[in-house]
Amino acid sequence: MKVKGFLKDVGGASRVTKMRQELIANGSPIPDPKDPIRELADLLHPGKQQFTITEIREASPTSTTFRFSPVNGHVPIFQSGQYVNFYLNVGDSVLTRAYSISSAPYEARLDDPYFEVTIRHNTHYLVPDWFLENAKVGTEITAALPFGQFHYEPLRDSDHIVGLAGGSGITPFVSMAKEIAHGSLDIDLTIIYGSVKHTDIVLYDVLEEARKAAPEKIHVVHVMSDDEEWDGEKGFVTEEIIKKYSPEGASYFFCGPPVMFFLIDKVMKEMGVPLKRFRHDASAQPAVKLIPGFPMDQVGKSYKLTVVRGIHEDVIDAAADEPVAVALERAAIPIDTHCRGGECGYCRTQLLEGNIFVSPLNDGRRAMDKELGWFHACSAYPTSDLKIKIPII
Amino acid sequence: MKFYKDHYDVVIIGGALSGLSAALQLQQKGINDILILEKHNLPGGLATSYVRNGIEIEATLHEMMSIGSKEDRLKVGVFFDECGVDIDWLKVPEAYRFVEPSKGIDITLHAGFERMANEIDAQYPGWGPKVLELMNLCNTVYDSMNTLSVTPMSKPAMLMKHPDFVKTAGYTATEVIDTFGFPQDIVDILSPYWIYVGNPLSTLPFTIYAFLMADYFRGGSYVARKYSHEMSMKLQAKAEENGAQIEFCQEVEKILVKDGKVTGVRTKRGDTINCDYVISRAYPNKVYTQMIEPLSEVPVGAIKMVNGRRLSVTTVSAMMVLDDTPENLGIKDYNIFSAGETMDTDKIWEQGKTAGPYKYLTSICLDLANPDATPDGMCQFSITFLPLVQGFLDLKEEDYYDFKRKLANDMIDEYEKVSGVNLRDHIVEIEVSTPVTIAHYVGAWKGSIYGYSHSIDDHAVARLQMKEADHFIDGLEFAGAHAISGNGMGPAVTNGRAAAKAVIDAVNSKKA
Repeated sequence: MKVKGFLKDVGGASRVTKMRQELIANGSPIPDPKDPIRELADLLHPGKQQFTITEIREASPTSTTFRFSPVNGHVPIFQSGQYVNFYLNVGDSVLTRAYSISSAPYEARLDDPYFEVTIRHNTHYLVPDWFLENAKVGTEITAALPFGQFHYEPLRDSDHIVGLAGGSGITPFVSMAKEIAHGSLDIDLTIIYGSVKHTDIVLYDVLEEARKAAPEKIHVVHVMSDDEEWDGEKGFVTEEIIKKYSPEGASYFFCGPPVMFFLIDKVMKEMGVPLKRFRHDASAQPAVKLIPGFPMDQVGKSYKLTVVRGIHEDVIDAAADEPVAVALERAAIPIDTHCRGGECGYCRTQLLEGNIFVSPLNDGRRAMDKELGWFHACSAYPTSDLKIKIPII
Repeated sequence: MKFYKDHYDVVIIGGALSGLSAALQLQQKGINDILILEKHNLPGGLATSYVRNGIEIEATLHEMMSIGSKEDRLKVGVFFDECGVDIDWLKVPEAYRFVEPSKGIDITLHAGFERMANEIDAQYPGWGPKVLELMNLCNTVYDSMNTLSVTPMSKPAMLMKHPDFVKTAGYTATEVIDTFGFPQDIVDILSPYWIYVGNPLSTLPFTIYAFLMADYFRGGSYVARKYSHEMSMKLQAKAEENGAQIEFCQEVEKILVKDGKVTGVRTKRGDTINCDYVISRAYPNKVYTQMIEPLSEVPVGAIKMVNGRRLSVTTVSAMMVLDDTPENLGIKDYNIFSAGETMDTDKIWEQGKTAGPYKYLTSICLDLANPDATPDGMCQFSITFLPLVQGFLDLKEEDYYDFKRKLANDMIDEYEKVSGVNLRDHIVEIEVSTPVTIAHYVGAWKGSIYGYSHSIDDHAVARLQMKEADHFIDGLEFAGAHAISGNGMGPAVTNGRAAAKAVIDAVNSKKA
């Protein structure tokens, strides 16, 4: 082998070493700790931040809107449909709970930025009550945002979205409607919103205001399941109603309670809506009787749960009909849940010993995690005594 | 509450391939008192996967090199076997299809030196033997590198036993390839892998080119059946089984140093952990400018080193789940490299300094290597370019989402133009990753994935020669793309092992 002549060829290694010595000798002696890419990543995903509640309003007789203003003046950019995760000090525990953001992205870019969530009363373990009883104007709260993939994605979705909502599932669509009305989201939005009675409609006025501001782009259809006085659409959100108000080729977005999801999912299949045209928000696991395949003979049983964090171990009680994450919360052992539906994987946990039942609803575990026994604590239930390992928080 | 022991022999910052391999290598040599601290809530760094709507999606876009078949295991494959890490490897069907429309080039090459030489000969009659000659030279250099990286020898001995390695070490890929007198079309056909080391051929050491070509064309490449996460999880499981403590969601903020010697680390959570050795996947740029405490312990030489060296490329990738099979969509190849404008790697490199649009793309349909990768009737598909970070430095928060959508949109347009395949109407899920995504999940300096440029003036051979000069703090080793062997999942394992070896040598010399 000859490249340019024997002597030059065999001197190659020394030559490149000299080149490298020069490269480093010419380096500046001044430290440069600036990393603009990490700085941008931290602006977009700042993690936990402090917020002050600056406004509390009634959103319906059974729901309340809370406004959160950032202590440091910065709300990260989010997209309508994404959620915020709260870290609430309840008793000795820190409870993590996710809520869809009901305000619009543009409101987070105002000179005095904020975001809002709208909370239905008495629907989940502890938290709504805690908010209603403890959250006052001036209360400081820890939260992290934004999370979730339940947002308009122009590379995938139709530019006409049909939002199918039930109960407080209206909030992501209110955010979208407000953003459209503001002129910063250029899509058409048809909302088909199921409530029991008209007095249950969450954020009626806010939605109406957005619709009036952009009547050619936003359409709202209220459907009452049990309201004699209502003179609009009645009954459940059925195939007939959806077809009546849907344009050709729309993207369907669903957000609402699990029971309604089962119905809508069936309707979407019957209507032949392609996979890419139907999206649904991650919802928290329902009561165990609604989880397909849940071993109902376990209800009422309790197991010992050994929790490993680093070299530390605790032994706590765990009810068989509550997710492992709830057992940890009850015992004041912090666990960072987000979606609480099994999908997002933030509460990824290592199973060291014992058996669990994993809800098949929104099972977001990776294949290798399933094989090696890792699970998501928000949607797994003990069926024996367990030993688990979780991150140190 | 006490979560850590009072002291560990070794703390490894980062539970990715390099960190986990370092742990396994230490354990092989009887060093078992190890703590691995990982920022994210799962192992593997970029060698991972994620789930959208119940569908698992590969996050690392490129197949694993240096594994080899069961009969002809290559370096990394041998190491995994030795450690008892049993991964279900699937062989990737072809090396690549290369398409350069402006010259009418469209060729598919497979592993096996003779086979690929014949494939080129079929389109460029008479050139097969010359291609085979180049590949054999690459293979000789490759074997020499693998020997020399574990068996140091004197310069005369090296010249006697590894003459081709020595004689080509000082030249760029272009300088050596030029001696073969190939027509430009064949040079183009032999160039696509340059992007896997992120340096144009005119300044890429031939040594690195040879390593890449020989490794991929000799052994072929492999993907794990259960995505890269299988590899990461099995490395983690083995390291834990051997007694290492691994903690997730623990970002290390400080490396504590006293009198030029590592004494411990401190996490973001506030835990101070004492140790004798630290193996860091955090980039030297970050370690020497932010993490060493106190910063007065950082010698000026370390600063000059990180400032003098150039960062290599980062990544922009659009990852999609499509609602039909590859067959129905017309996707025939696992891997296509497409040169939409030019295959002049210097020009592509210049384009990589901008914020796009990019015209040199790597597209991968994982299902064609792993038929079970996506549920029936669907497939997963990614399009990637590896730009420099320059084009991203002025990016504003409020423009970010639109910006990354535009990058993805441009890449989809370009791929559809080159391939004639309609992706757009079939997208069920899409995620776009950028340097910012990398910085967010793994914390890599400026979102880099490839460490420092594999350029002739920062040659791996020179890095090896200067190992002592580049070592600034007693007890601190580096493992990751920024270490001697550079980027890629295979080299990550090698880098981890090399860092472990440095620790083992130091432990042994103390005992002596």
